Amino acid sequence: MRAGHIYLAIAVVLLGISFFKERQKTKEALKATLKIFYTIIPVLVFVFVLMGLIQAYVSRETIASILGQKSGILGILYAEIVGCIALFMPPAVFPFSGYLHDNGASYGSIAAFVFTAILIGITTLPLEIKFLGKRFTIARNIFTFVLAFFIALLMEVILT
Amino acid sequence: MKHLLKNNAFQYLSLSALIILTVYGLNAEKGMIVTITVYLTFFEILDIMIAVSIFIGLFQVWVKPATIERWLGKGSGVKGFAFVCTFPIFMGGSLFTIFPLLKTLREKGARTGAIASFITAWGGKAPLLPLETKFLGWPFALVRLGFVVIFAFIMGLLMDWVGEKPTKLA
Repeated sequence: MRAGHIYLAIAVVLLGISFFKERQKTKEALKATLKIFYTIIPVLVFVFVLMGLIQAYVSRETIASILGQKSGILGILYAEIVGCIALFMPPAVFPFSGYLHDNGASYGSIAAFVFTAILIGITTLPLEIKFLGKRFTIARNIFTFVLAFFIALLMEVILT
Repeated sequence: MKHLLKNNAFQYLSLSALIILTVYGLNAEKGMIVTITVYLTFFEILDIMIAVSIFIGLFQVWVKPATIERWLGKGSGVKGFAFVCTFPIFMGGSLFTIFPLLKTLREKGARTGAIASFITAWGGKAPLLPLETKFLGWPFALVRLGFVVIFAFIMGLLMDWVGEKPTKLA
C-alpha cells in the first residue's frame, strides 16, 4: 500500500468524524481544502517542470563521476551543491547514495548529499517562498547549507 | 484579460507551458523527458496532496490557535523544542507537501524557529530507514538520525533569531 493511500484513508476518516460532529465546520474545512488545493497545484506544476528540466539535462552518471573521486572538504561541498540541484524524490535519495558509495564517494560526501537533497531544492524554492516568505526561505536554505557542511564533516570523521 | 494576467495560477501555468514548448523546440527528445517527468510526478503526489489539503482544511477549523501557541509558540520552551525536533522525523512525504501545512501552523501562532526545526527534523526520514540501512548500513543511518535532532535544534535557534528581526521582506 502506498503512503499516499494511507494518508488519504486517514484524511477521509477524519473528515467523516468532523462531519458527524459538526456539519457547518466541516463545510468550512472543505472550502479551505479547495482553496489550498487551487493555490498549490499551479505552483507544483511549475516545480515539476523545473525538475523535468534537470532530469533532461543532468544525467545520474554525470553526478556519480563528479562525486565519486573527490573526498574531504571539497568533496562535501560538491556533494552539497549537487544535492541542492539534483532532482530526487526522498525515496530515491538512498538508493542513489548507495550507488555513489559504490563509486567511491566518502561517507561525509554522502551525508552532505543526503541532507541537501532532502532539505534544499532549487526547484522547490518558488513554493517555499510562496508559503513561508522570502526572508524565511533565504535564511533557512543558507543555514541548512552551512550546518549540513559541518555535520557532514563530523560524520566523515566519526564513520571513517 | 488584465485580471487573468495578474492571476497567480495563470502565471505559473503559462510559464510552465512556455518552458516545455521551448525545450521541445530545441530538442524534442528532451522535451518529452520534461513532459513525462511532470506527468509522472504529478500523479505520484496527487493522492498525498489531496490528503494534505484535507488535513489542512480540518486543521484550520478544528485546532485552536491557543493549542498551537502552547506547543509551538513563544512560551513553549523545552517541550516545544523536544516536539518539533523529533516528531516530524516520523512523517513522510516530499518537501513541497509540508510547506502548506507549515504555513497554517505559522498562521496559528507557531514560532519561526519551530517551523524551521520542523522542516529539518522532517529530513530525518525515519519511514525510509529500511532503504537507508540497506544501501548505507546501520552505523551511517543511526549517526545521521542523531545529528538530525541536533541539526533541527540549532536551526530552530538560528531561525528564531532571524524571525525576531523587525524588517519584513516577505
